[in-house]
Amino acid sequence: MKLDMVHDIQTVYRKLVDAMARPGQLADLSKEAALIEENEARPFLLLAFTLFDQEVTFKVFSKREAAISKLIHQYTNARPAAIEEADYIFVLADAEKTALKGAIERAKHGTLKNPHDSATIFAEVDEITNTSTLKLTGPGIQSEEQVHVETESEWLAERQVKNKEYPLGVDLMFIDRRQQLLALPRTTQITINRVIV
Amino acid sequence: MNTTYNFAFFDEGSKREIRRATLKAIAIPGYQVPFASREMPIGRGWGTGGLQLTLSLIGMKDVLKVIDQGSDESVNAVNIKKLVSNTTGVEVTEHTSKATLIQSRHRIPEVPLTKEQILVLQVPLPEPLRYYEPSETETKKLHAEKEYSGAWLMLFEQIMKYGGMATGADHPVLVHDRYVMAPSPIPRFDNPKMNANEALILLGAGREKKVYAVPPYTKVVSLDFEDYLFQAEIFADKHCRICGQTDVFLDELVDELTDETVYQCNDTSNCLEKLNSVGVK
Repeated sequence: MKLDMVHDIQTVYRKLVDAMARPGQLADLSKEAALIEENEARPFLLLAFTLFDQEVTFKVFSKREAAISKLIHQYTNARPAAIEEADYIFVLADAEKTALKGAIERAKHGTLKNPHDSATIFAEVDEITNTSTLKLTGPGIQSEEQVHVETESEWLAERQVKNKEYPLGVDLMFIDRRQQLLALPRTTQITINRVIV
Repeated sequence: MNTTYNFAFFDEGSKREIRRATLKAIAIPGYQVPFASREMPIGRGWGTGGLQLTLSLIGMKDVLKVIDQGSDESVNAVNIKKLVSNTTGVEVTEHTSKATLIQSRHRIPEVPLTKEQILVLQVPLPEPLRYYEPSETETKKLHAEKEYSGAWLMLFEQIMKYGGMATGADHPVLVHDRYVMAPSPIPRFDNPKMNANEALILLGAGREKKVYAVPPYTKVVSLDFEDYLFQAEIFADKHCRICGQTDVFLDELVDELTDETVYQCNDTSNCLEKLNSVGVK
C-alpha cells in the first residue's frame, strides 16, 4: 500500500477536523484515497485507518458486509458490533435504500451524562455539491451554507428526529464518488430550500 | 530533527485515541470529552493537554507558534516548541499571522485569528463547576441537567463580597446556549474573542484528561447578571510603554528605579511587530 500511515493519515484527520468544524465546507479526500489499492470500500478503509483500533466497534451496511467487516477488522483490530452498540457505522452505496434511515434510527445517541458516547455515521452517496437544496446553520457556519446531497436514501427527517434532544444525537458524514466529504455534526440545523413560485 | 521517535512523538494509537475524542468535542461545543491522556516528557499541569492536541494535529506543512502568557520566549513555550519541532521538524514562528497551529497558555493572541488557523489552549482546570462541587460524578450530572445555578451563585457571592465579579481569569462562559465552560485562564479581556471566532479553538487538559472545543462562529457568552454586566479589564488612558498601543491587554509593572507603575504589551510578538512596522531608531 502506498498510503503513508503517519503523514497521509494526518492529512485525512486534519480534513476531518476542518469538515467537522465547518459544516458545509467539503473536504477532498481523493488524493489519499487514491493511494489505497483498488478496492470498492476505499474511502471507508481510509476512515478506518484514521480512526479505528482495538478500542473501537463498527457496523457495515453493504451487500458485501461480511467481507468488508473482515477486512477492516484484519487491518485495524476494530470489532464488528450490533448497530445499537457500534461507535462507527458505514453505509455503503450498495446497501439497501432504507439502510441509512435505519442506521440513523437505531444508532446509539449517547446519554445526557456522556453525549460523546454516540455513533458517527459515514454514508456513501452519489454526489455532494454546494448547490442550494439544503440550508445549513449552526456552530461552524458564519451565516449559512448551501449543500446538495445526491442520494436515493431518505435520511433528513430521521436525522431531525434523532437529534431533537441536543446534546444527544448522531454525527453524520457523507462521502461521494469523487471522495468529497461533508460533515453534519449534531449541532447543524438543516432546512430544505423550497422553490417559491 | 530527532528520528528516534515516531513523527510528532506519539505512537499512532495514541494519536487515534485523542483524534476520536477531538472530533466528538467539535460536534458537542463546550462539552468536556474524556480522553486517555498519555504520559508526556513534561509534568502534568504544564501544558500536556495542549501539547497532546498539538501533536495529534500537526503535520509536516504546519507552521507552529507556542506562547505562554503572551510571550514566545518563556520557559514553558520554548520547551514545548522545542519538543514539537524536534520530533516533527516543522517550521516554528513568532508571527501570529504566519502560524497555522498556535498553542497558547492563558492568552488568545491580539492579532485576529483566521480560518486557516487552529488555536490550542492549555487548560489546568477544565471543570467550571469544580470550585463548588468536588465530585466528578456530580458535576457530570449538573452538566447533563444544565443545572448551572451554582456557577451564577459563585459570581453572586463575589459581588456580595467584593462589589463586583472578581474572576481574575478563567471567567466562565456559556457555549452554544448549552454548556458552561471554563475558557482556560485567559484574562476576561480575551473572553469576547472566543465568541464567533474565525478559527477553531481546541482546549486540552492533560492532568484532568479532558478535551473540549469551540468551533468557529460559535456563540460564546460570558456569564453575568442584568445589573452586573460582564466587564473585561479596562486600560483606559494607559498605553504600552514600548510600542504605544492602547487597545491591547497590558501588563502592569513597577519600574524599580523610579517606583512608577508602568504598562507594557502582554503579547510580545504583537508588540515587536508594531515596533518593526513603525521602525525603531
